[in-house]
Amino acid sequence: MLIRKMIRDIKKNLSQFITIFLMVFIGVMAYSGIEAYMDGMKNTSDVFYSENNLQDLNVMGAINDDDLKEIKKIDHVNDAERKLSVNATTDNDKTLLLNFIESNNISKFYLIDGEGFDINKSGVWLDEFYAKENNIKVGDTILVKYDTLELHERVLALVNIPDHLYDVRDSSELYPDRKEFGFAYLSINEITEKYIKSKVMNEANIKDEKIFDYAMPNFNYKDYIYFNTLMVDVDNKDNVDKVKNKIDDEITSAKAIIKIEDSASYVTYQGEIDEGKTYVGVFSGLFLVIAMLSVITTMTRVVKNQRIQIGTLKALGFKDRRVLLHYIGYGFYISLIASILGLIAGYYLIGNFFISLEMAFFEIPNGHPSMNSTSYIVALAVVLIVALISYLTCRNILKENPAETLRNKIPNVKKNSLNITTKGIFKKMNFSSKWNARDILRNKMRTITGVVGVASCAMLIVCAFGMLNSMDYFIDLQFKELYNFDYKINLKEDVSDTRIKELENIYGNNTSKTYGIEIKNKDIKESNNIFVTDANEYVRFVDNKGKFIKVDSDKGIYVTYKLAQTKGYKLGDKIEWHIYGENKYYTSEIVGFNKDPQNQNVTMTRKYLESLGIEYKPDSIYSNQDLSKTKDVDGIDIIQDINALEEGMTNMLSMMKEMIILIIAVAIILGAIIIYNLGILSYTEKQYQFATLKVLGFKDKQIKKIFIKQNNWIAIASLIIGLPAGYYLTDWLFKTAIEEHYDFGASIQPLTYVIAAVGTFVASYIVSRYLARKIKNIDMVSSLKGNE
Amino acid sequence: MDNFIELKDVKKTYVVGDKEFNALDGVSFSIPKGEFVVILGPSGAGKSTLLNLLGGMDNATSGTITVDSENIEKYSKNELAEYRAENVGFIFQFYNILPTLTVLENVDIVKDIVKRPKSSKRILEDVGLKEHMNKFPNQLSGGEQQRVSIARAIAKNPKILLCDEPTGALDSKTGVEVLKLLKKQCDANNGENTVIIVTHNALIAEIADRVIRLKNGQIDSINVNKHPKSIDEVVW
Repeated sequence: MLIRKMIRDIKKNLSQFITIFLMVFIGVMAYSGIEAYMDGMKNTSDVFYSENNLQDLNVMGAINDDDLKEIKKIDHVNDAERKLSVNATTDNDKTLLLNFIESNNISKFYLIDGEGFDINKSGVWLDEFYAKENNIKVGDTILVKYDTLELHERVLALVNIPDHLYDVRDSSELYPDRKEFGFAYLSINEITEKYIKSKVMNEANIKDEKIFDYAMPNFNYKDYIYFNTLMVDVDNKDNVDKVKNKIDDEITSAKAIIKIEDSASYVTYQGEIDEGKTYVGVFSGLFLVIAMLSVITTMTRVVKNQRIQIGTLKALGFKDRRVLLHYIGYGFYISLIASILGLIAGYYLIGNFFISLEMAFFEIPNGHPSMNSTSYIVALAVVLIVALISYLTCRNILKENPAETLRNKIPNVKKNSLNITTKGIFKKMNFSSKWNARDILRNKMRTITGVVGVASCAMLIVCAFGMLNSMDYFIDLQFKELYNFDYKINLKEDVSDTRIKELENIYGNNTSKTYGIEIKNKDIKESNNIFVTDANEYVRFVDNKGKFIKVDSDKGIYVTYKLAQTKGYKLGDKIEWHIYGENKYYTSEIVGFNKDPQNQNVTMTRKYLESLGIEYKPDSIYSNQDLSKTKDVDGIDIIQDINALEEGMTNMLSMMKEMIILIIAVAIILGAIIIYNLGILSYTEKQYQFATLKVLGFKDKQIKKIFIKQNNWIAIASLIIGLPAGYYLTDWLFKTAIEEHYDFGASIQPLTYVIAAVGTFVASYIVSRYLARKIKNIDMVSSLKGNE
Repeated sequence: MDNFIELKDVKKTYVVGDKEFNALDGVSFSIPKGEFVVILGPSGAGKSTLLNLLGGMDNATSGTITVDSENIEKYSKNELAEYRAENVGFIFQFYNILPTLTVLENVDIVKDIVKRPKSSKRILEDVGLKEHMNKFPNQLSGGEQQRVSIARAIAKNPKILLCDEPTGALDSKTGVEVLKLLKKQCDANNGENTVIIVTHNALIAEIADRVIRLKNGQIDSINVNKHPKSIDEVVW
């Protein structure tokens, strides 16, 4: 019979139980969904990395056979493989990163279609995404040109490779353009003897092949293939540093040894996970907390409203345990069903949605969300909390003896708290304000829940729109303020000084050079970059407040604020650094700071570089000429259009935007439910008093005013808290969640605050108005008589 | 048969603010089995408090309450629940029936707690609610709702029926019907059921075997009616 009672009670309080259901559902869905997405990301890459044996170290330098043998002999090295990686162009002007390899046991191919690696096979194992974008299939033939080498290669397979989840042509590009740039693997045998021979002859300045053959009778072209990268597989992650140091000490041709954790593909993917983790913590956690707060209040009220019935059951002789179980059941079953559905929806809707977004961005096979125990624990905890709240509320009522329970309870008010409302400004308040002030003091918990709930929603809306604002601000800062050029010309590595001079004469002498450096910070060596500027006003710099500063000191280096902050650098500090591939250390004084949203690095002037005795050889030229049709210029690697760069950045942020839109949507739904729910609660609780006011002769309109007034107060109080909280949340998110090399901060437009404030207030007002309509239907007699 | 219910020097003190207030102030009396007892007194005399103590819904501050040779003041919470379930039927002024259960279900609910309940349907027929069995409480008049509450109390087959102003919210005609039902319950079971009615309606006293008058938490008088009137004899 009690089950029947429960079902009918739930039906009777349907709107409140629907609220509980929705809150738990949305809370659990948001939490477990984002969790499933993040864990899915991690599991997917973990599986791919381990099954396809991602390397632990990349060694840069001309690694010859002896070096390879030496490295393989080092303790803890499982295996090592060389590759020759070069950028090549295709017949239709796309760029392919060609990798010539001898074997494929490290960073193994994951075959989408076609056959596995065989050194004796002629053809190309091609980037799946690139192939898809360019409509290339297995069996097709592509033409690639590198230097004087022209290769017609049949596509043997479409592959994914753990080292190429994310590839960009140039570090200033952020968003991979799979149509224009991809990777391809070939057997080292594809490099022809003819090509190597002509290269060697050129270097030796021998024009006649006969003379060359005579001079080098034992010439074996394979000895002259210049492998530029070596991949090392270490037995255990703990031993990577040992192996790295050993190679650094023993292999002189190793110019730079980079851990896989520092490689662009790995870092970018990992960054996405780390970023997401903060979201898991912040947003889904916030949603859950807000939802739970509201559920707890509702559940408490539902049980409290059953007070007389609890008393009746007790008077009939039901034991406490039975009554407790009965009321625990109310929240338990509802939240159990909502949690289970939330888990399912979280996995399939949110998890799948984000994973599929990510899998379109990162080239990694078998991406799928993954549910871990945390989600189950959280879902279970939610159910238990709801049950516990019912239990505690019911137990409190049961503690009283049945005689007391059957009496209508008047809210317990401490004398002191109401005393405030008889003094000071309260004294001058009109009746409705006084009534509301006292009602708020008497129902502190309900009021606090209301304020927290509505404030959180306002905060989330500010934060979500604020993130969009901030991103726009930083895109503008980067591409309109800092980058003051239309085109960036990247020069080829081996371009001669005279050719550079010629190019400068054509495109202008606004240049820069970026060096990969290693900074010695106490005992730790860290990779970074030095940007040497001779770009005049084509590349500009700003301070922390966005004001332009001149980077013109010839006495030292400038570091970005965020780098200074993370490494603890102060003005006047000296740092020790060396250029990769050279052993000489320089000590430079920090003479200033600049803000850079994208890169946290070191900047110096050309003059300062030269004062250190280093020759300045630019690698980029900046120009405002129209270079949209310029191509195939000798000495130029690629020409980048600033609009394309901006578009890349915008594209990358667009993924974040989808997430933000979801946050806004959930925040709005939650906000609406919370406002409605609390409105109903406060209305139900005041109904009795409103009936009394009616009996006393108050007009409906006056009562409505009283009711709406309190809700407006709550909305205003919530906005006062929520709007600034939104700013701080945005700022915090940008400062902590975002990848280390970015330096974003909150930059929120006033309009955002207006939208959040007006939106929240209007929602609250509409709900109040809607509920206030019920006042005219209050039946004075039954409201005053009945307990139900 | 004597002293089925016995109260000795029972006190119930409430603390209101920093003042103590004795709702019952040293009440002693006894009731034999099978009597129809009326407790009379003005508002605040302690009638409802007394009923709550008898029904095991509240504890006395001091004194002993013995029912069927058991001191119920010594009962634990669970024992009290069992005592209420098996021995006591309650009838309230405002009925306290469960609004989300139908009439029949409201009576049937005692099956969940009582070992040998009476047939709900028969009792509902007896109290004249046969036609309303599947209605919800809010579809019934006050008198009908009170009859549901009586049916529920009777269905437990209790030794004691405790009624707090059972006719208080009813018109006189319906009140008479309710009283008849209560009297019938008292006479049932070979006259072994005890009915105690708390009221401030002095007319009801005329049909009682015993009338206990309370005043300011103390016994004012106890009268045993040698010849109680039948309900129909009383001019309401």
